Amino acid sequence: MKDLLDFFIEVGKLKRMPRRGWIINQIKNPESIAEHIFRSALMGWIIGEMKGNINVEKLIKIALIHDLCEVYAGDTTPYDSILPRNKKKLRELMKTWPRFSTSEKKKKISEKFRKEKKSLQKLISKLPPKPKKEIIKLWLDYEKGLTPEGRFFHQADRMENFLQAYEYWKKYENPPLGPWWLWAREFFDDPILLKFMKVLEKKFH
Amino acid sequence: MEEKKFYLTKEGLAKIKKEHEDLKALKLAKTAGEIPKIWHSEDLNPEYLSFQEDLSFLEVRIAELENILRNAELIKPLPKNKQSIVSLGAKVLVQVDGQTDEFTIVGSLEANPSLGKISNESPVGKALLGHRVGEEVLVSSPIRTIYKIRKIKYQTS
Repeated sequence: MKDLLDFFIEVGKLKRMPRRGWIINQIKNPESIAEHIFRSALMGWIIGEMKGNINVEKLIKIALIHDLCEVYAGDTTPYDSILPRNKKKLRELMKTWPRFSTSEKKKKISEKFRKEKKSLQKLISKLPPKPKKEIIKLWLDYEKGLTPEGRFFHQADRMENFLQAYEYWKKYENPPLGPWWLWAREFFDDPILLKFMKVLEKKFH
Repeated sequence: MEEKKFYLTKEGLAKIKKEHEDLKALKLAKTAGEIPKIWHSEDLNPEYLSFQEDLSFLEVRIAELENILRNAELIKPLPKNKQSIVSLGAKVLVQVDGQTDEFTIVGSLEANPSLGKISNESPVGKALLGHRVGEEVLVSSPIRTIYKIRKIKYQTS
């Protein structure tokens, strides 16, 4: 039981860890990683159920564990390798969507995967074998898109992020939405999430 | 299980077939109580380490791969005279927002935008289809973006 308690204490850190993307966008009182997990789970469940042919229990479990690795690995953003120190330059950078060469993209993805896997393994190392195995499998499913649930949640997760970007934009006129749309129209392809994106666009524009 | 067609590149289909074969061998060895050869393989994927532990998960993944293979549609190479048009499987060099980027247009299953693999069902993937080098493709909702096509390349089979 002590190991379980220690695990929950570590996981609890996510309640106080602000999402890095909002920090570099200089958003006041940004949401925590745990807050993002909460709404992404709800969105995944409810939209996923409408989509059909989805194991909702598995989907919710994927949602609950998908960012646990960030307890030690921290949160990453596509801007991390090119962040300027100067605040004015940073604001300018946030108006663009960063593009990288194919080899840079591959390098970034594999480094992120390695770092996050190591962090997750450390976090769950003392859990009983059953939840330990299940967490690593669900996380691999999310990361690699091994099943329809992993593939769908990979996009539902980002839709929550997109919705949050709009909510901050409405409140603070920040972050700039141009790069978000550049990314979103290349990223989303799930028919039900594309419909949701249209509704989002109508509500906020 | 998804019933839709899975459009796969030659490389993508080969990868799925290999994983299917490997996992079947792993399952067979595991049920026979042997340590499978793949365990010692140098290019062992991290996923296999996890599958190795759990027969039920292995079976779920095998069923998923079988569903994909049943509904797989190979993206066939286009005839030479049509290779100047963006179609599934094309590598497209674009100029967008003052920067260049390279996309490969793939089916949903192989899509990985972080690696430049854009789904043919995404708004940008869909918009690029059917266009030629030099053309400007406008994606306008709600922010106007122009993708200028610089180069189209197909993998030779």
